[in-house]
Amino acid sequence: MRRTFLKGLAATAVAAASFGLATPAVAQDAMSFYEGKAIKFIVPYKPGGGYDEYARLIAPFLEKYTGARVDIDNMPGSGGLKGAVEIFKAPADGLTIGIINGSAMVTNELAEIEGAEYKVADYNFLGRIVADLRVFVVASNSGLNSIEDVLASDNELLIGATGLGGSTYVDAVITADAFGINQKVVHGFNSSGDIRQAMARGDVAGMWGSYGSARKGHEAGDHKIILHSAKGGAPEVEGIPSVYDLAAGAADPAKAESVMASWDALSAVGRPIAAPPGVPEDRVAFLRKAFDQAMADPEFVEIAAQGKRDLAYASGEDMNAIAKAATDLTDEIRAKFVAAIRGEI
Amino acid sequence: MTIIEGMMSGFVQSTSLTVFPYLFIGSLFGLIIGVIPGLSGHFAMAMAVTFLYTMEPATGIAFILGAHATVAQGGGLTAILFSTPGTGQNAATLLDGPPMRDKGQAGVAVGAAMASCFLGATFGAIVLALLIPVLRDVVLFFGPPEIFVLAFLALTFVAVLGKEDMTRSLIAALLGLLLAMIGVDNVTNTERFTMGSDRLADGLSLVPVILGLFAVAEMIDLWVRGGSLAKDAPTALSAKETQRQIFYGIGLAFKKWWLVMRCSAIGTTMGLIPGLGSAPAAFVAYGHAKQTAKDKESFGKGNVEGVIGAEAANDAVEGGALASTIAFGIPGSSSMAILLSGLFILGLETGPQMLNNNVDIIFIMIFTIIIGNLIGTVFGMFLVNPLSRATSIRAEIMVPILMAIIVTGAYAGDRSLFDIGVALVFGVIGYIMKVLNYSRAALLIGFVLGFAVEKNLYLALLIDGPFFMAEPIPAGLSAVTALFLGWNVWTIYRDRKKG
Repeated sequence: MRRTFLKGLAATAVAAASFGLATPAVAQDAMSFYEGKAIKFIVPYKPGGGYDEYARLIAPFLEKYTGARVDIDNMPGSGGLKGAVEIFKAPADGLTIGIINGSAMVTNELAEIEGAEYKVADYNFLGRIVADLRVFVVASNSGLNSIEDVLASDNELLIGATGLGGSTYVDAVITADAFGINQKVVHGFNSSGDIRQAMARGDVAGMWGSYGSARKGHEAGDHKIILHSAKGGAPEVEGIPSVYDLAAGAADPAKAESVMASWDALSAVGRPIAAPPGVPEDRVAFLRKAFDQAMADPEFVEIAAQGKRDLAYASGEDMNAIAKAATDLTDEIRAKFVAAIRGEI
Repeated sequence: MTIIEGMMSGFVQSTSLTVFPYLFIGSLFGLIIGVIPGLSGHFAMAMAVTFLYTMEPATGIAFILGAHATVAQGGGLTAILFSTPGTGQNAATLLDGPPMRDKGQAGVAVGAAMASCFLGATFGAIVLALLIPVLRDVVLFFGPPEIFVLAFLALTFVAVLGKEDMTRSLIAALLGLLLAMIGVDNVTNTERFTMGSDRLADGLSLVPVILGLFAVAEMIDLWVRGGSLAKDAPTALSAKETQRQIFYGIGLAFKKWWLVMRCSAIGTTMGLIPGLGSAPAAFVAYGHAKQTAKDKESFGKGNVEGVIGAEAANDAVEGGALASTIAFGIPGSSSMAILLSGLFILGLETGPQMLNNNVDIIFIMIFTIIIGNLIGTVFGMFLVNPLSRATSIRAEIMVPILMAIIVTGAYAGDRSLFDIGVALVFGVIGYIMKVLNYSRAALLIGFVLGFAVEKNLYLALLIDGPFFMAEPIPAGLSAVTALFLGWNVWTIYRDRKKG
């Protein structure tokens, strides 16, 4: 299960701590290296978004456990691509790290988007802060109440999306393709908030998005979550079917399930913190340990809970495996994703 | 919590000893950020957000929104005294502010601008308060077809903006529309006019374009012309004379209350529409002020009504812009996106939850806007004297200093060297346009609205099909647009016949 909760978090933190103890000499070197230095923390988006918030949330705790000053540097551009490349190409001294939009960077890499001058699997990941649980919501005024309603509907469903190839778009076309949903994707909205407003007006019927951005409207009754991406379910979306439940009843269950598994692997990359390739191993280990400690810090967990910011920790080592799984696709599935990203299906 | 209870509680909280000092500091901070060219409300808020983690909700809101509320006031000061818009929304103030300064009426212009800002902001805040019970319905009124037609209506105002002729204004507006197309198209993901540059793929940013067109172009002009900024008033106004002028200017804004109300209504309405921003609102209000004035000829040559209209509108926007943020948690601009994340940090929920249970928080916002602007007006007056003395400094000294500030401002927004280049290129373009008598304001409006026009046209076509214009509201608005344009053409024809 990819949404690791506090138990797993604590266990890994303990493991990381003992790993730290096992190599005191190396850790000592790295610790003295970082003492009093400044770490540049790149956020590839403007101030005020989710990525910026997560970065500013964790930065003080990274300072606490590295002994270095952490300077947030917002570097927006090309949908997060510019900042991700900047991190990838930064000097490999371990003094530049950053948060990346993992899933989007994987899709950019798969579709060979111009300017995607990085390999996601080559980053030195410190770990993952959160991975978005993807949910499909329909507006309360759409008359639809469940995914069964959507599948049974004779009318073409209008689905809102941001840019062509963005995650709201890719999610919609991949699932519709797998389950035969009769839909028309209206893309070109500025943001997911923009789409939610169109849903409230009745202009479009539904959209794909992250649970974090859909939660509030779901609780307020503006829209309803009717499908989600968590295999085996998740506490936030209890009683709501997952895409895997739906895949079991598809015309070709095995094929639908393998497509969903690849799609899920993509969103599992989530929002990791990464350092460039080539950073000395002891510094990577030191930064990973600091990240683990920060994520397990009770104060950090409390602040995140207060701001209703989900956390879904994954260790740096796990992240390397997750990134590899997301980029290792069969030819058939790769072709399908590339077509979806390029807006060809 | 009823609305009256919320209002009382909001007022008590925002004037309490724990909140007011932060409101005060935030407002002064915003005023100073506004005075510096290139640094906008969005920048002031992004800096203020960092301090929110340890604050109580009421304190935090007063601080962050206070910093945002006064930025336009500070920017107006710079626009009038230095021909350089302090922020994007002050670009319309340049049409009549600097000419007034040249006539030795800098104090009057500043006083009128400050007071109009305060009145406009108060108007917007009151409208927001009145709309609370129906806020969600009001916000939902504007869908892609409506926004498309309204953006188009705003575009037609370029025709009456400047002292330049209509044909040249239209050429400039179309050039602005073309410039807005630069970058990756949001709909088809196709690169347009990027010439292979990945910097251009993100499109041109608004701040360096405005700084170039207006500020850098003015600097080139001043350098070529020599002398000092205050053309016909070579000696600085005495402190006493400045003071007398400021109070006279404030009085003028109150005396022209009907104009202030109308322009504020334009500002608040445009604030309600997501994605239009406050720069077009100020221009449309300016166009309206000119259109309805008896002596249209004196606009652009230092008519105080031009300053009042623009400044009232750009602060009245605030109340409208807050509506969609409060009602749905959907930010209409980058500043509102930052405010929203500030509210998150403070642990506050927007949407129905806030409308039903936290009305006091909405009223803290409303009172912050009103009180913040009052503080901005009072302290803005103290800034006039030292700043206006600087306007009589000789060009050889003034231009390098201002250019250093402008270049820093262009860089600071996105920390991008490329943006400095954009500002310089647009400086040359702006200077050429000034010399050849093409309207820079028209170009700016085209540039700002281009994106909104295109996006909403596309969405309207996808959602409602090719006949979306036939729906009652878009059709009604289109009729207004056609009438407005027709009336303009007719007045031009009539004036020509007379002449």
